[in-house]
Amino acid sequence: MTWRPRGLRARLLVAFVLVTVLGAAAAAWSSAGSASRALVDSTQRRLTETVADQVAAVAPQLTYPPDQAALDRLRAAAGPNTLVTYRDLRSVDGADTGLVTEELRGAVRDRGRLVTQRIVTEDDTPWLLVGTPVVATSPDGARTPSGIEVYAVRDLSEVEERIDGLTESAIGTAALALPLAVLLALLAARGVLRPVRDLRDTARRLTAGDLGARSEPQGADELAELTVTVNEMAASLQASMATMSRMQADARRFAADVSHELRTPLATLTAVMEVLETAADGMDADANESARLAITETRRLVRLVEDLMEVSRFDAGTARPRVEDVDVAAAVRDCLRARGWLDRVELAAPAGIVALADRRRLDVIVANLVGNALRHGGPPVRVRVLADREQVWVEVTDGGPGLPEEVLPHVFDRFYKADAARTRTPGSGLGLAIALENARLHGGDLTAGNAEGGGARFVLRLPRHGEDA
Amino acid sequence: MAAILLIEDDPLVRRGLQLALRGHGHDVRTADTGEDGLRELRASGPDLVVLDLMLPGIDGFEVCRRVRESSAVPVIMLTARGDDFDVVGGLEAGADDYVVKPVQPTVLDARIRAVLRRGTGSADGVRVHRDLRIDTTALTVTSRGEPVSLTATELRLLLTLSRAPGRVFSRQQLLEEVWEHDYLGDSRLVDNCVQRLRAKIETNPATPEYVQTVRGFGYRFGPL
Amino acid sequence: MRRIWLAVVLVLLAGCGVQPSGLADAGDAPTGVAPGVTLYFVDPDGRLVPQLRPTDRLGTVTEATSLLLTGVGSDSELHSEIAAGAPPRVVVTTEPGVIHLMVPLTIHDVTPLGIDQLVCTALGAHVQGGGSRSTRVRIDFVQPTRESDVRRTCPLIR
Repeated sequence: MTWRPRGLRARLLVAFVLVTVLGAAAAAWSSAGSASRALVDSTQRRLTETVADQVAAVAPQLTYPPDQAALDRLRAAAGPNTLVTYRDLRSVDGADTGLVTEELRGAVRDRGRLVTQRIVTEDDTPWLLVGTPVVATSPDGARTPSGIEVYAVRDLSEVEERIDGLTESAIGTAALALPLAVLLALLAARGVLRPVRDLRDTARRLTAGDLGARSEPQGADELAELTVTVNEMAASLQASMATMSRMQADARRFAADVSHELRTPLATLTAVMEVLETAADGMDADANESARLAITETRRLVRLVEDLMEVSRFDAGTARPRVEDVDVAAAVRDCLRARGWLDRVELAAPAGIVALADRRRLDVIVANLVGNALRHGGPPVRVRVLADREQVWVEVTDGGPGLPEEVLPHVFDRFYKADAARTRTPGSGLGLAIALENARLHGGDLTAGNAEGGGARFVLRLPRHGEDA
Repeated sequence: MAAILLIEDDPLVRRGLQLALRGHGHDVRTADTGEDGLRELRASGPDLVVLDLMLPGIDGFEVCRRVRESSAVPVIMLTARGDDFDVVGGLEAGADDYVVKPVQPTVLDARIRAVLRRGTGSADGVRVHRDLRIDTTALTVTSRGEPVSLTATELRLLLTLSRAPGRVFSRQQLLEEVWEHDYLGDSRLVDNCVQRLRAKIETNPATPEYVQTVRGFGYRFGPL
Repeated sequence: MRRIWLAVVLVLLAGCGVQPSGLADAGDAPTGVAPGVTLYFVDPDGRLVPQLRPTDRLGTVTEATSLLLTGVGSDSELHSEIAAGAPPRVVVTTEPGVIHLMVPLTIHDVTPLGIDQLVCTALGAHVQGGGSRSTRVRIDFVQPTRESDVRRTCPLIR
């Protein structure tokens, strides 16, 4: 069997119909079979008894030993299609007596009893052969063969026709079961498949992220158990997702709260640092150095907290770009000039590239990229500004060894330091993460890689006409 | 050297800023609430107010508005970084400038000095444009004969623009000239100040005659 | 799979129609032929003995009993203990298990052995014609007598 129904519905349907029709056919066949057996048996018995009775009725009137007339009389009494023999004498009527088998004759002679046999001729006509000796009984009951044998051939076609009728009606019954079976199978399939379909829809919704999706379990079968299990699974998934996102939100709020709380003392520290700085000049060497360390670290702390708060704003989704038309080349130049980097950086920036951007955030990105290149990479540090109608690119490359392969996927991670020994850099460890978030806030992005010459290469891409352009 | 009123609720921050500004040569009086600050303002008449927006009782915005009702004294706000709501609210309440906490005293001192510098350094007599009369020496402005009370920043903006009638100034240029900000100055300072100036000198602020907008670039005085 | 279907169809088809069968026993063969009828008489020692009267055929119970009434014949040492002279006409009726003989005799016309002659002759013809040996015989005499109600059996046919 090469073809198999694929769908659950089709398989259920085929199985149900097969079972029902086979069952009906078997029942009909078996009842038709037993009915026809009973019919054949009763017909056979009737025919046999008729022959025996007729022979018995006429036998006392026959002369014995019989002459030809007696045999003829006996044959006439037994009905048509009959052969009567006595030694060499024969009395025959009907053409079909030739059907009498040697087997039957032998049995009649050997057993001395009434014997029957059914045969079917070439033309599919069934026949009943009845053979019997006529015995002589003494007054005390002893039976001896008389030498007279009677063979009757009876046509069973009529029985066959009635059996055919029975078979046909059995087939009809089985066929009647077919549409009923299809109907029942459809109903059953619907009953079984509806919860399955419900479950499938629920699973799809769960997959799509709707963790609130549930199926109503119906009944108390295996499907209902499965539904309950799926519901439990979804509930536990939902619960752990909720826990996770709550923990995540808690962690973010904690970071935001911590930085916020740090701001007030830092404001005080920032305010008095200058006073301390001025006073440090008059201190002895150790006190002076201590004061300077305190000042440096305080400034670092301020920067770190500011970066942390910026990250918190990105996480909370409260960061909003304040966009205006910005001459990108001028902005980059201003950024470098403000930090005194103009003479250490090769800048290739054609004037007149205007993009809709947040001036401060653009400055943060460029300062971070160039600052990293100057600190970690080697000279020459190059900054190029390119643009087409839709986009503007700011590319920062350095002449250093470039970024190792294992570092590349992590350069934008928070607090990721490529070189474990260089943890005490002036940066907060958040610079590139903030730069990337700022790029994305503009609808652009920031990518890291290595230039052909081997140095690190960062490319900032911004849409020129704002996020939705 | 200026007389400064610092309104800040946190005692340590207040003391730190007082010390730092004193180090820059200013005479600093302090107040820890808005009410105290307003009382001190009336009592001592400072040259400038440094105002924290986060105050118990009446908040910084309300303090700023009340200051503006009675006085043209310059106000510099202390805001949290990234809190645009603070900046916009403060500017609308009439503040001249703002700095982000934690602020370096040097930066704050520079802003203070910029805000207090009333003139542009180029006193060239009296400029008359229609009904507007600007005395660059006396630093007074009259409109249709009536004196107009301008804050120091508004006056400097007007002087800068009217120095070259018809010339277009970008916001960035104005920020650098009037507020003495670096290249990252907040252009909202300019827009806000222009609006307040128009409200004071224009006949119809919605269709300004004197301070006109050049869309996509900046502002210019006139042409008249 | 295909083979299973084929088998199922064959089995179903095999249930249809009349199938040939082997030889089957259908009971006792019919009987009733005989070279003559057997009558019962009494020998000189007073014993009941059968006598074959060659009539070429068995005939009926009526014929046998009627023949018995005609007597033993001349050349025989046997005799009949049934009074001679009665008309040889017996009416025989049968009901299940019982043969009913209405004889043209009174109880005084027969001895007990004569009654046995009648009973044995009737039962012998009955058995030879295929009847059961356990069948009883009732003899109805012309005059009412209690002997008419007795169901009898033949001492020679058990």
